[in-house]
Amino acid sequence: MEQQTVKRYRMNMSWNYEKEEAWLNEMSEQGFQFQKAGLLNSTFVHDDSSRYTYRLDYQTGNPKDVEFQNYIDLYQDAGWEYVSSYGSMWHYFRRVWQPGEQPKLYTDKDSLVAQYKKIQRLMGIMLLINLGILLANTANWIRLINYQWGFFVPVVAIYMILLGLLGYGYVKMGNKINQLMK
Amino acid sequence: MEKIKDMLPLTEAFYYILVSLYAAPSHGYGIMQDIEKMSGGRVKIGAGTLYTALNALLNKGLIDPYPVPDDQDARRKMYVITSDGKEVIAAEMGRLEELLQAGKLALISGKE
Repeated sequence: MEQQTVKRYRMNMSWNYEKEEAWLNEMSEQGFQFQKAGLLNSTFVHDDSSRYTYRLDYQTGNPKDVEFQNYIDLYQDAGWEYVSSYGSMWHYFRRVWQPGEQPKLYTDKDSLVAQYKKIQRLMGIMLLINLGILLANTANWIRLINYQWGFFVPVVAIYMILLGLLGYGYVKMGNKINQLMK
Repeated sequence: MEKIKDMLPLTEAFYYILVSLYAAPSHGYGIMQDIEKMSGGRVKIGAGTLYTALNALLNKGLIDPYPVPDDQDARRKMYVITSDGKEVIAAEMGRLEELLQAGKLALISGKE
């Protein structure tokens, strides 16, 4: 049987990954089973006969490593089918949907807080690295301002957006952590 | 190793993982089932919580990887409790006992 795939465009933000989960679960209910994530789009397989609960997990690690296999195996043992990964950071799992069931990967407050802190730390590191790159190139930028506006303006604008998003994400994750610790 | 006192109190997940491994070396799935049984179904540890806890316990030196015996599924990584891990569990049990004793005493004297 030919499997029909569809793409849906949606910008998914790391600090809102629970919203992405909710979206994937709604799509599943409508018969679109998530298959693969991209930067701006997600691929689904049309299949009305199944329904799944999807969960996202953030773990750093190379999918080619032995440790990654151990990670996938443990989740599999716990009833989670591995679907795909995005950027070897975000990993998608699913299990067959059961009425009234809300299965979670992180079942206590401490481990969820630790997980949020890990995501927040990554955003902080990326922010500092990008800020470093931007500052290290200041001399170049200044030289470019004088005669290459067409290059200078878009590049700096992209950096500003990136830094802004990372900063926003960092604060958002901080708020989520505080909310949990209350 | 961090001072044992600084590691207490343990979260329920950490406590139960160490208690489960105190009895015998096991793999993630075995630990998960064991904990559900020990707690009478009350504590069901999620895959993410278990995976991160095992890594944290390895980093703190409270558990070690354990060579998988021939008669076991080689795919499943196994863990064993270390002597530091046993010390932490003993200290935590002492702390819990103190809490329990104090509570019981208060209940008894409160009745009079």
